[in-house]
Amino acid sequence: MVDEQKSLTAPPPVVALAGWVVPGAGYWLLGQRARAITVCVTVLMLFVAGILIGGIRVIDAPHLFGTSGNIVSRILEKPWFVGQVLAGPISLIAAYLSGLAAKSPELKDMVAHARLADIGTLYAAVAGMLNLLTIVDSSSRAARLLNGDDNDATPASPSPANVPASRPARSTP
Amino acid sequence: MLAILAEYSYSHPFVQPLPVWDYWPWLLLPLCAGVAIVYKSAKCASMRRVPWEATVAFAWILIFMVTAGAILAGLVKVLESKG
Repeated sequence: MVDEQKSLTAPPPVVALAGWVVPGAGYWLLGQRARAITVCVTVLMLFVAGILIGGIRVIDAPHLFGTSGNIVSRILEKPWFVGQVLAGPISLIAAYLSGLAAKSPELKDMVAHARLADIGTLYAAVAGMLNLLTIVDSSSRAARLLNGDDNDATPASPSPANVPASRPARSTP
Repeated sequence: MLAILAEYSYSHPFVQPLPVWDYWPWLLLPLCAGVAIVYKSAKCASMRRVPWEATVAFAWILIFMVTAGAILAGLVKVLESKG
C-alpha cells in the first residue's frame, strides 16, 4: 500500500514546478483537491485584484536584455517583480501586457500613483509570495510521502486523541 | 486636484486604476483575508479546520495592524510636537 502510494506520488521538483505553473497544482498532484482549489482561487484572485486596483502597469518587469548595467542591477531596479513572478506564468503574461500598455499612445498615461499603485503592487507581490509558500509546502509534503512518512501535514499538537495506545499509562500518586 | 478627480472617467478596467482612493484602507481587508486563507490552507492538516483557523488568523492580523498603525501614528504625533 505504501509502495503503491510512493509510486503514485510525483517527485518534489515536479510538484514545485506544477505549483508555479498553476497555483495549487502541486497539492492537486498529491490528491489534495480541496487544498489545491482553495490556494488556486485565493492566489489568482489576489493577483487579479492587484491589477484591477492599480491597473496593469503595477506589473513592471525589469528589462533583462537591456544594455544599462548588469542583469542583477536591472532586476534590483524593479524588486516587486521578484515577488510577483512567483505567482506563475500569469505574471509573465501580465508583464507583457503591461509593456504593451506602456507603449500604447492611448494607454501609456493610465498609471496609478501613490497609494493605489502601492496597494496594487502589494496585492500582486503578496499573491506571488503566498504561492511560494504553497510551492515549498506542497513539495515538502511530496518528499514526506516519498520517504514513507505519510503524516501528511504539520504535526498536530499532542492531544488525547493523538496519543498512541501503546504509550504506558501514567500512574497517579 | 479635486477637479481632476471629478473628471476621472473609469472606462478601461484592469488598465486604469480603480477609483477607490477615498476608501484605500478598506482594500487591506481582502489582502489580509487572502493571506490568512492561504497560510492556514498550507498549515492545517485537515481542510475542515481552515475556515475557522483562517477567521481567527484574519482577526489577529487586523488587530496587530490596527495596533501597529495606532502606535506609529502616536509616535509621529509625539515627534511632530517635539520638532
